Amino acid sequence: MAEIISPGCQRGIPGNVEMPLSVERLPNGNTLIADGGDEAGFGSEIVEIDHLGNIVWNYNEGLRFAHSGRRLKNGNTLITDTTNNRLIEVTPDKKIVMNSDEWGSGTGKLSDGSHLHYPNEAFELEDGTFLVTDRNNDRCIQVDRNGKVIWAFERELKHPHNANALPNGNFLISDSDRNRILEINREKEIIWSYGDGSIETLWWPRSAIRLKNGNTMITDSRNHRIIEVSPEGKFIWMFQTEYVDKFYITHATKEGTFLIACSGYHQVVEVDLAGNIVWLFRNYRRPTPIYTRLTNGFFKEVGADRYPLHWVLARRLSEGGGKVIWDNENKPYPCPGLEFDRPGALFLQQDIAVKPGSTYRIGGDIKTIDVKGEACLMVDFFDSYGASLYRDISLMPSGEFFTGTNGWTHDIFDVRVPPRATYAELRLSINNSGKVFVRNIMMNPI
Amino acid sequence: MALDRIISEKRKRQCAKLIEISKDIVRQAFNKFKPEELGITWTGGKDSGLTLWIIRQVCQEKNIPLPKTMIIGEGDEFEEIEAFVERMKKEWNVPLEVCRNEDVLKAADYRLNALVRVKDLNERNREELIRIGFEGDEFPFEAESYVGNHLMKTVVFNQFLERNRIKGIFQGLRWDEHPARFDDPYFEFKEGGHLMPEHTRIRPILHFTEKDLWDTYAAFKIPYCPLYEQGYRSLGAKTTSLISVEGVPAWKQDLENTEERAGRRPDKEKAMERMRQLGYM
Repeated sequence: MAEIISPGCQRGIPGNVEMPLSVERLPNGNTLIADGGDEAGFGSEIVEIDHLGNIVWNYNEGLRFAHSGRRLKNGNTLITDTTNNRLIEVTPDKKIVMNSDEWGSGTGKLSDGSHLHYPNEAFELEDGTFLVTDRNNDRCIQVDRNGKVIWAFERELKHPHNANALPNGNFLISDSDRNRILEINREKEIIWSYGDGSIETLWWPRSAIRLKNGNTMITDSRNHRIIEVSPEGKFIWMFQTEYVDKFYITHATKEGTFLIACSGYHQVVEVDLAGNIVWLFRNYRRPTPIYTRLTNGFFKEVGADRYPLHWVLARRLSEGGGKVIWDNENKPYPCPGLEFDRPGALFLQQDIAVKPGSTYRIGGDIKTIDVKGEACLMVDFFDSYGASLYRDISLMPSGEFFTGTNGWTHDIFDVRVPPRATYAELRLSINNSGKVFVRNIMMNPI
Repeated sequence: MALDRIISEKRKRQCAKLIEISKDIVRQAFNKFKPEELGITWTGGKDSGLTLWIIRQVCQEKNIPLPKTMIIGEGDEFEEIEAFVERMKKEWNVPLEVCRNEDVLKAADYRLNALVRVKDLNERNREELIRIGFEGDEFPFEAESYVGNHLMKTVVFNQFLERNRIKGIFQGLRWDEHPARFDDPYFEFKEGGHLMPEHTRIRPILHFTEKDLWDTYAAFKIPYCPLYEQGYRSLGAKTTSLISVEGVPAWKQDLENTEERAGRRPDKEKAMERMRQLGYM
């Protein structure tokens, strides 16, 4: 009998904002939010809310981990539908009037023969073309509505997440994996930059905007802060939360406040220059149950969806790939596994209530086949806002890392529950391609 | 090669300071609990050995006998450790209880890797398996596996506490031995629960690094198990403990830049770096 602390709500409820990834204040005072959806890959949508938090418009048809929604001059909304590798423009009555899948005679190809790969951001430029941050192609491109590439910056970037145009015609690019912000002119020369590569200066910056005073406001994601720097690179001001909350996008309002998409805390905040939160939107309800203890760790029970009962296939970061598989030869009963075939990461996971300060022992058997990346058991800890306590996946406690092909191996490791943790997420994790199987998982306080 | 290094006077004073911190923890424990409410865990290894030596110093100072001491018999012991423990028990007059889960050993016919059938176990052990979420019908008898560890160590430990009404138990853990230990406190109260007696864990040598520990052994001529001379750095069950560097005594190895628990995840840092580069989360 499963003992559940929080049952979790239905997945994909329209208007339930699970993971705000971009935000902007519209001229009418409403706020447009791109919601990446939940960990299982449901609920991604673009939501427009009024200042009281009422949902006045949304679009959620077929979106997968959409990272941005931008209102165009014509009143339509431009959406980067990230996991679907496409860019769409939808009307207020939710008709798609442009879809990058139709470019290149329906192949989705751009005029240079490439395909958008995990686009994260797109803005409309003055001339009606789009500036697209094409993350997994490591580039920023200007395209027209027919997919003609007009301009491209393809050098030196590693997983950029945001590029926007400045009044002087230059572009401000967040070169996230290189921990820096670049200002590029149309001749593709670097005019200005900030970030020395160290994570103390900038850690995975996901957006930057030029302010009217000439300074630059950078969303320094893993340092859970926004930071204002002068053209000379001098630190001017910052807003930082006490605890880890990965900020994705910052938008400057006409009133001189800043709207921040807070992916960790599942909310959008508006802060003033004194660091006051002057407005906040959060309507998050957890879709995932929290169990009192690890449940069905031996995978004897199988759900109607052919997933192990009480376990969640987390495919938000899987870039569209991956599935649950079963080893039917395993005795005395079949055991589950994950098959994955691309960059990104796929998890089979369960949330378990924990007490800070206690130590848990976690163990199980793992088998891998041709894993090109890593497979392992891993634990993420979350606070009462449902935000991970870790700034980076590599800081999370884990068992042994398995690469290549390995027969059944017993793995066992201890983790201490950090302060402020309310629940643990125990994961079987795989990144890159291969298969991993798991059986006999246990997790207990010691 | 015996541990006969010369330790400088300065280093000896540093080690003495570390011992003093530990002794203070031990004294606090004796103030908090009656001597008969205290217990000591001993494995014959270097960490619990140093802990025992320090507790013994405090007991001599207070002129009281050593608290009850437990050693766990997992069924996979090094003969060298058994001999060392036997010798020290006599020399130091240790009130030692050898604790074993006889029921599991019997079900395994005292053979390593033998399959143990859950239905052959007694009620307590079966209940313990339910408690940890073990849902199988059988398991191989290995002391270092999840189930083996629980039945052969945790259960035996809890039973020792129950049997002797122990309220505070000394453990020889150190912060630097494992990342999961980084935040361990000197005194940790453990709430009681089903099959788990309420108790406080007392860890007097948390602050010793591996190097501090060996320098202290050398400076104060503390006896140790000779296996460390052969290159073992960490001693557990016989069949799963590995020599880190063959023929190089533990204290002569590169203690600060290599893993104490040899053979465990040597490529973890590299793998972490690769995952970090994927840029997720």
